[in-house]
Amino acid sequence: MNITADHLEFNKSYEISALKENDLTQKLAEMGCVPGTEIMKLYTAPGGDPIAFRIDSYILGLRKSEAENIFVIPAVVEN
Amino acid sequence: MKKIALIGNPNCGKSTLFNRLTGLSQKTSNLPGTTVETTSGIVKLKTSDVELIDLPGIYSLFAQAEDERLVVSTLIGIDSEKPDAIVYILDGTNLRRNLLLVSQVAELGIPASCILTMADTAKRRHIEINIDALQTELGIPVAVVNPRSDTNIQNAIDLLQNHHVGNTISVNDQFENRLKSFYLGNKERGLSEETLKRYRDIEQVVKKVIVNSDGKKRNNTINIDKYVTHPILGILIFFLVMMALFQGVFYLADAPMGWIENGFGWFKTMLDETLPSGMWSDFVKDGIFSGIEGVIVFVPQIFILFFLIGLLEDSGYMVRASFITDRVMRKIGLNGRSIIPLVGGFACAIPSIMATRTIKNKRERLITMLVVPLMSCSARLPVYVLLISLAIPASSFWGPFPAQSFVMTSAYFAGIVVALIFAVLFNFFNKTKEKSEFVLELPTYQSPRIQTVISQAWIKCRSFLTEAGKVIIIISMVLWALSNFGPKTAMDKARSEAKIVAALGSPDSIQIEQSLKLEASYAGHIGKFIEPAITPLGYDWKTGIALITSFAAREVFVGTMSTLFQTPDNDKNVIGIRKKMQAEINPTNGKPLYGIPYAISLIFFYAFALQCVSTMAVMKKETGSWYWPVMLFFIYGGIAYLSAFAAYNIFNLYF
Repeated sequence: MNITADHLEFNKSYEISALKENDLTQKLAEMGCVPGTEIMKLYTAPGGDPIAFRIDSYILGLRKSEAENIFVIPAVVEN
Repeated sequence: MKKIALIGNPNCGKSTLFNRLTGLSQKTSNLPGTTVETTSGIVKLKTSDVELIDLPGIYSLFAQAEDERLVVSTLIGIDSEKPDAIVYILDGTNLRRNLLLVSQVAELGIPASCILTMADTAKRRHIEINIDALQTELGIPVAVVNPRSDTNIQNAIDLLQNHHVGNTISVNDQFENRLKSFYLGNKERGLSEETLKRYRDIEQVVKKVIVNSDGKKRNNTINIDKYVTHPILGILIFFLVMMALFQGVFYLADAPMGWIENGFGWFKTMLDETLPSGMWSDFVKDGIFSGIEGVIVFVPQIFILFFLIGLLEDSGYMVRASFITDRVMRKIGLNGRSIIPLVGGFACAIPSIMATRTIKNKRERLITMLVVPLMSCSARLPVYVLLISLAIPASSFWGPFPAQSFVMTSAYFAGIVVALIFAVLFNFFNKTKEKSEFVLELPTYQSPRIQTVISQAWIKCRSFLTEAGKVIIIISMVLWALSNFGPKTAMDKARSEAKIVAALGSPDSIQIEQSLKLEASYAGHIGKFIEPAITPLGYDWKTGIALITSFAAREVFVGTMSTLFQTPDNDKNVIGIRKKMQAEINPTNGKPLYGIPYAISLIFFYAFALQCVSTMAVMKKETGSWYWPVMLFFIYGGIAYLSAFAAYNIFNLYF
């Protein structure tokens, strides 16, 4: 249940469930990382950090330490 | 005239649209009391003209980076009057996030209209947007415009006359007061809750506006990024791109620099022929016009480098460069975002220091600013070229490397390495605690828009021309005075010696006279005065004069040496100076005075020393005090001195 965004499998669809409350919450929320939004891990920089995610319909680069603040749940597969 | 501000997220096509609408009427202006520049331009409409203001792209009004804060201060009218109207630029592929900003700005009650961009891309991704519904929901006129093509541009122009106070998507009491208080640096509580609520309200709007989305998100960008961010390939691509950048600059700038030099040469010859001979003519020719030439001659290099960086930025590559370098940059106290100012530092430190405004974290921004001057800027290049060609034969090899290009490359790398070391040191001694942040959108790749890139490169060139230009010209005039006047007895002696030489009928008599006068002048006295301090580095008093004159701009070194070595006017270039300098012998050891140890020592000195008054002035503006410029002057000066000393003595053992 408590998966954070830095631990996602590549190219698998998840849904943001909550954000950890801290200084970064506001910035993440502004960038569209809000509960209910689809999130997918796409690729990483050399060394595995930062990580590029697809948030809704755009690509966002986050450091591992920043991605830790996003809680996710596996997305419901729509048909 | 009505003022209309363009507001939108980064990468939404705002600047392209601005360029299309305003064309050549653009101008930049400083906000009162700040160094932050806004770009504005005039659009001619049927009934009246309007002033269009291009503001930096932002995601939210609760922003902290220097360039983002400008948007807020404009909208709430802190340093200037509020704009009369706003045009939102919305990226159709990314409506939710774009509407967040709209929902905030709408609460300020400024009349607005809206331009939807990337509608075609959205359609290709099977996102269909109902324009009428969007118009109804926002309560303002909406037009679809593709800023990259001419179709529909009229829609944008029509929209500039048509704006209303729109609906608010989400309401928050006291929004404007909260925003003002945040802008002034107060902590506002509950901002993230507010943002989450806005998104929930936006979702209701989006449900009515996006009629059909098949949910499959196609994007070629991800396929390209697989290579660009690949652990091995990605780093290889990064270095290849950087190499291509520098090769491109040297290759492309060569011809225009030649034209400028020839043009000024021709102009000075013409002045020679038309002006009566005498002191004032000399002053106009050598004091003023040499100064102007020294400024203009850099424009091609600076423009071309910023143009090429602009192409990389606009295509979306520079953001990837930030993405792949962030991990290393973070370790030394910088940020992935630092890469753009650092690369720009190879052209000119002045606009690059200004470019650090996009870095939100104050400590990271400061450290980036402090190490930018260690990147070998275009003014060092002519100095390196002269010294290398002076001391090192083109045919010689050091091990497997051609010696000339080996030394040139080393000079650039030395700057980079010392910059990295100092970043670590500054980071170590800076105790301010502020959380470092990356959070960076990786925009869709696109072919760069030449017109936008040219106008932005030109804005950077202009900051070099206005900031450095005036300093270089003033110092050039002062130097002229220092080298043409001197203590009376010394000058008289020089004149009488010159007369004897002339009487002997030496073919070089004019140049010998110039050289004798220079030695007797105030500049000569200063050179002699500092000679004891620079002898350990292998320099003589002539080099001392050139070091001092370099404070105007480093390349003044070349001009000063040409005067000191009595090169005839028609041979006043690197080859002419080189011939003269190579003939000089050091009386103490019989080696050439200006040999390899001398050249390497001086290259190190130029690579590190903060010899640019204009850079110091810009740094003072951006940091708000003289503390750092003065500190850096001594720190980098000390490093320059020590490394030049070491280089001279080590190379003296072998050459």
